[in-house]
Amino acid sequence: MRLYAYCLAEAPPPLPPAVSGIGGATPRVLSLDVGVVGVVSDFPEERAAVSPENVLAHERVVAHVLASTTPLPLRFGAVVSPARLESYVGSHRDALRAAFERVRGCVEMSVKVIWDVADLGAVGGAAGDAGPVAGPSTGPGAAFLEAKRRQILGDETRRERADAVAGWLRARLGHVVRESAVQTRPQEALFLAGAYLVERAQLGEYRERLRGACAERPDLRFLASGPWPPYSFSQAGP
Amino acid sequence: MTPPPDPPVPVHHEIDTAHGAEFVSQLGRLTGALPDRVNIDAESVEHGLAKLVLTLIELIRRLLEKQAVRRMEGGLSPEQVEELGLALMALEAKMDELKAQFGLAEEDLTLDLGPLGRLI
Repeated sequence: MRLYAYCLAEAPPPLPPAVSGIGGATPRVLSLDVGVVGVVSDFPEERAAVSPENVLAHERVVAHVLASTTPLPLRFGAVVSPARLESYVGSHRDALRAAFERVRGCVEMSVKVIWDVADLGAVGGAAGDAGPVAGPSTGPGAAFLEAKRRQILGDETRRERADAVAGWLRARLGHVVRESAVQTRPQEALFLAGAYLVERAQLGEYRERLRGACAERPDLRFLASGPWPPYSFSQAGP
Repeated sequence: MTPPPDPPVPVHHEIDTAHGAEFVSQLGRLTGALPDRVNIDAESVEHGLAKLVLTLIELIRRLLEKQAVRRMEGGLSPEQVEELGLALMALEAKMDELKAQFGLAEEDLTLDLGPLGRLI
């Protein structure tokens, strides 16, 4: 018998009967260890196809668990035997305990930020204004190196600006964020993707602080979403 | 001791933005770069290997360029600058040739290192 595993939890979460999992199967709770249950459904195949329906089904089940308790979400596609799942939980007891401790009572909130692409061009231009250092040589090799220099200066300036925005946002969110995982891609319009671990009881204050930060920077476009399972703060997986 | 129950949160995620269309477009660019499925056949493995090797070469090439620019700023003679620039131009041309041979675009040459970000 194979199971599709969605997540691990510290206590059996209530799962409404109407919630369907991968392939339309009904998710159920499987006791795996003291204080650890798995949310699984029967699965006849060897692997789960990566399809929008299946990915949404995985997310739907984990979201229903998150509604009542913070799980350790498993990556999409965990097809295991019951014995393998039990063995994984038994052999990773300490790591799982620490992982639950890390996210307990919290949810992941996401912030994505877009900056103006026109400003990116201005950054490159400003870097170019630094003036050439190659001297009087005007050969193709010197011109190539000078162009690379301007490009590198522009890249470094954008990186500094992106890091400054990440630091500013983290400071504005303040103590309501327990942990953060932020990726910056200074070359892209969507240059910042932040995941913030926030205690459920602090969600109201988090939203208020984020609204204040957004109002402070009309030059940036924000997308806030959540609550999400703490995918960015747990790496559980059999 | 059993931990106290968590305050409930809504099952449906809230999404809040005044710039929905722009985010849909930008996120679409990211998801468009992902394969619909992963094929583990000989051809895709070969292609994946070529992508990996060329990504590492590209990383080294860019590091060389940065090093060359630092040396230029440190005060090379015009002849040395020209020579270094020509060597790097040739290297870039060679990389373009290899990318074309394997059907790879510049944006393909990166590795997503998860929490560490992208390699290039």
